[in-house]
Amino acid sequence: MTPFRTAAAGLALLLAAACTAPTPPRSQASAAAGTACARPSGAPGAETPTTIDVIEQAYFCILDRYYSGAVLDARALLTAGFLALTQELNRNGRDVPEAIMPALTGDRKADWTAFETAYRKVTDRVPDLRDKLAVVTLEAVVAALDDNHARWAHDVGRPPDSYDGDGYGLGLQTNVVGAEAEGDPGVTVAPLFITAVQGGAAQAAGLRPGDIIESINGSAPFIGGRAGPAIASLSPQYPEASPVRLRLLRQSTGHRWSVALKPGLFARDPAALRVVQSKLLEDDIAYVRLRGFASDSAKRVLTAITRLRTGRTLSGLVLDLRGNGGGSPTEAVRLLSAFVHGEVTAYQCTVDDACETIRTDDTVALLGLPLVVLTDRGCASACEHFSSAVKDLRAGRIVGTRTSGTISGPASSYLLSNNTLLGFPSKRHLGPDREVIDRIGVPPDHHVPLTAGDAAAGRDPALARALTLLHE
Amino acid sequence: MRQLLAVAAGLAVLAASACTAPAPPRPAGVAPTPTGPATLPAPTGDHPVGTTVLYLKDTSRPDPWNLDADARELKVTLWYPTGRRDGQRAPYMTPKESELLLKGSRITGVPYDTLSKTRTNAVKDADPAGRRLPLVVLSPGFTKPVSTLTSLAEDLASRGYVVAGIDHPYESYVTTLSDGRVAECIACDSDGDPGFGTGVVQGRAADVSFVLDRLPAEWEGSGRIDRSRIAMAGQSIGGAGALAALVKDSRVRAGIDMDGTTYARIPEGGFTRPFMFIGSPQHVPGGRDISWDRDWKLLTGWKRWIVLTGGEHQSFTDGPLLAGALGVTPAYGVLEAARAAELTRTYVAAFLDRHLKSRRQPLLEGPSPSHPEVRFCPAACGRS
Repeated sequence: MTPFRTAAAGLALLLAAACTAPTPPRSQASAAAGTACARPSGAPGAETPTTIDVIEQAYFCILDRYYSGAVLDARALLTAGFLALTQELNRNGRDVPEAIMPALTGDRKADWTAFETAYRKVTDRVPDLRDKLAVVTLEAVVAALDDNHARWAHDVGRPPDSYDGDGYGLGLQTNVVGAEAEGDPGVTVAPLFITAVQGGAAQAAGLRPGDIIESINGSAPFIGGRAGPAIASLSPQYPEASPVRLRLLRQSTGHRWSVALKPGLFARDPAALRVVQSKLLEDDIAYVRLRGFASDSAKRVLTAITRLRTGRTLSGLVLDLRGNGGGSPTEAVRLLSAFVHGEVTAYQCTVDDACETIRTDDTVALLGLPLVVLTDRGCASACEHFSSAVKDLRAGRIVGTRTSGTISGPASSYLLSNNTLLGFPSKRHLGPDREVIDRIGVPPDHHVPLTAGDAAAGRDPALARALTLLHE
Repeated sequence: MRQLLAVAAGLAVLAASACTAPAPPRPAGVAPTPTGPATLPAPTGDHPVGTTVLYLKDTSRPDPWNLDADARELKVTLWYPTGRRDGQRAPYMTPKESELLLKGSRITGVPYDTLSKTRTNAVKDADPAGRRLPLVVLSPGFTKPVSTLTSLAEDLASRGYVVAGIDHPYESYVTTLSDGRVAECIACDSDGDPGFGTGVVQGRAADVSFVLDRLPAEWEGSGRIDRSRIAMAGQSIGGAGALAALVKDSRVRAGIDMDGTTYARIPEGGFTRPFMFIGSPQHVPGGRDISWDRDWKLLTGWKRWIVLTGGEHQSFTDGPLLAGALGVTPAYGVLEAARAAELTRTYVAAFLDRHLKSRRQPLLEGPSPSHPEVRFCPAACGRS
C-alpha cells in the first residue's frame, strides 16, 4: 500500500503494480459515470501540459473512486483549487478582477461547470501562466483530500547524469526521518543531529554522525521546542539545487562551524541498497534488515533466515524495519504469516464500513523463532500493516520508536489524459483490532530512541535492546 | 502533501528495474514445430578454431551473491586459432545447462536438453596456434551463460583472436563450476533492487581483472597472447560490464557494449579509450534508456554509436540462431537470425581490427550500401 512519487534520488520511477490494490468497484453514487479515470496499462507516454480538462478528469475521478468520494463535500475540493489559483496569481504579481470564487450549490456537476467557467475567465487573462495555474490548482484539489496516500505525480524529472543507485540531496540523514523529514516534523524532539553521512556534499564537508545541526539557512530547527519548517530544507528534491547553509556543533570537541552544502547526485554502495540484508549476531540471533516490501521480499527474508539457521540453533530473529517505507501489502501479510497463522492482519473498509478482512497466509511455514521488530518514524504503510499486526497478535516485540502513521489505505493509480498519474485509496486501513493506524502509527513495546551521542559513537541502542530481550 | 514524499521515496526506488530485461525469445503466435538441433554458422576467418575451459578461483574476495562462498569462482571458456581442422567439436552446453537455461527462460515444448545438441565449430581442447594474438574478453547478458555468445566467439577466434568468455556464477540461470557443481541464479532474487546494475558491473569488472591476472599461469597457450592488445565486448549487462572493466582496468584497451544499459561511472574528466555502442532501436539517442546519452558525452576518444534497424536485444547473441530448435517464431520485422549474426560478427570484428590490429575499417566510417540496417548515431539516427 503506497502512494507513488519520484524517488529521493530524483529518479523518475513510478511505483510497481505490485504496490497497488486491485481496481475498486465503481461507486454506485458516481456523479460522473463515464468520465472516470482508467487504470494505467504499461508505461505512460510522454507528459503533456496540464489543462482544465485534466483537472476535470481528476475531480470526477476522485468523486467516483476515492475512499470517501461518494460522500465528501466536493465544494471543498473546488474551493481549495480556486484558492491555490488566486494565490499563484498573486505570487506572480498578476491578480485579475475576475478571480472570484463562483457560488456553489452542492450539485457536483453544476458546481464543476461554474468552477470551469470562472477558471477559464481567469486563465484567459493570463495565458502565459496557464500551465502553471493548472498545476497548482490540481495539486491543491488533491491536497484537499488530506490523505497521505493521495498523490498526483507530474513533471516527473530525473537528473540526466544519474547512475543506478545514486542518491540525490545533501548526502546526509538526520534523526528526523520519513514523513517528518519532508515537511511534517511532528513529534521530533531537539536536538537535530546527523545519523548517517551517505556521500555527496555532506561527505565532502567532513560531516560525521552525531554532529548537531544548530541552524539551517539561518533558521533554528526548533521554535519554542517544536520542530519547525526549516528541517525540510535538509531533504531537497531534484531539481532543487540551492545550497543549504548549516551551522554545526561537534559535541566531542565543542567545535562550532558553518558549511554550505549543495544538493546533488551522490553514489551509494550497491550492497547497502539491497532490499534484504542479513547476518548472524552473537552466534545465535538472525538479523535481517528489510528496506521495503518489494515483490518477493517475504521469500527473500525467509530464505536468508533459513540460510543462517543451517547447521545451528537460533534463539531469535531481529527484523530491522527502520526506514522501511512500505510497498506490497501482500508481502507484509506473507512475512507476518511466518510468525502467526489463522489470524486477521488488517481490515480494509469502505466509507460505509463494508470491510474486507485480510488474513494470514497459512501456506507460509511458521518459523517458530522469537521475534523482535525494530521500527522508527520511517516505517510506513505496509511496514505499519506488518508492525501493527505483530503487536496486536503478539507475534513478537517491537523496539525503537513509533512508526510513521502513513497508512490511510491501499492506493491505486489512475492515468489522466496528459499522461500523469493520480493515486489514492478507495478503502481505509484498520489494524487487527479495527483500530486506526493512520496518522497515529504503531507504538513500540520498548521505546528506545537514538541519541546524538549514540550516533557519534556508532552505537545502536535499539538493536542492543533487541538482543538483550532475545537472550532473556 | 509534502509529508508523504519521504515515505514513498523508498518504495519508488524499489520499483526501479535495474537492468535491461534479457527477454528470451517468445512465440509470436502458434509455436511452430521445432526444427531439430541448431547448427551455428561457420566462422568466417582463415583459422580453424579450438576451445577449452578453465576454472579459476579468486580467494581474495567472497562471492558477491552466494553468502556461503568465501571465494569467487569463475568459469572461463577460451576460443582460439588452432592448426587442427578435425577433431571432436566442443559441446555447446551440457544437458543440465540446457535444462536450467530453458526452465529459467520459461521455454517449454521442446526437450530440456535441446540446446546441448547445438552443433558448434570449435574443436575441443585443440592445441592453440599463432603468436602475438590479441585477446578479447566476452561477457554475457544477465541470466545467460557465455555459451550464448559462441557464434561471435568462434568467428573472432577464426580471425586470429584469443577469446576469453567469462561465466559469472550466480548471475546466470546456470553455471557449471569445477567438479561439476551447478551454480544457479542467486542474483535473480535481487535484480529489482536499487543499485543492482551498478553492483553487477562492479563485480564483473573485478572478475575480468582477475581473469587477466591469472590467464598466464592458468593456460599453457597464454604465451601466444599479446597482452598489450586486450579488448572486451559484452551483451546487455555484459556490455555494461565491458565499460566498467575499461574504466577500472587500464589493461583493457577498447570495448564494445552490445545493447546493454550501462552502469559504470565514467570519470568526469572524460575517457579516451575507444568504445563502441551497438544496439537495437531501443537504444537510440533520447530513448527511454538515458545511459548511452549520459556516457556519450563523457567518451572523448574514438567512439561509435550504432543502431541496427530490426535488431532486438538478443540479435547480438546466439538467441535468434537457436529459435528454430526451440520452436520459437521470431517476431515480425525482426532481423533474420543469420543476418543478425553476420552484422554482429562483422561490426565487432571491424572495431577490434581497427583498434587491436590497427587496420583501417571503412565500415566504421559511415553507412555502407551492403549493410543498410546499420545506422550511425547520434547524427544519422532519430528516435524510432
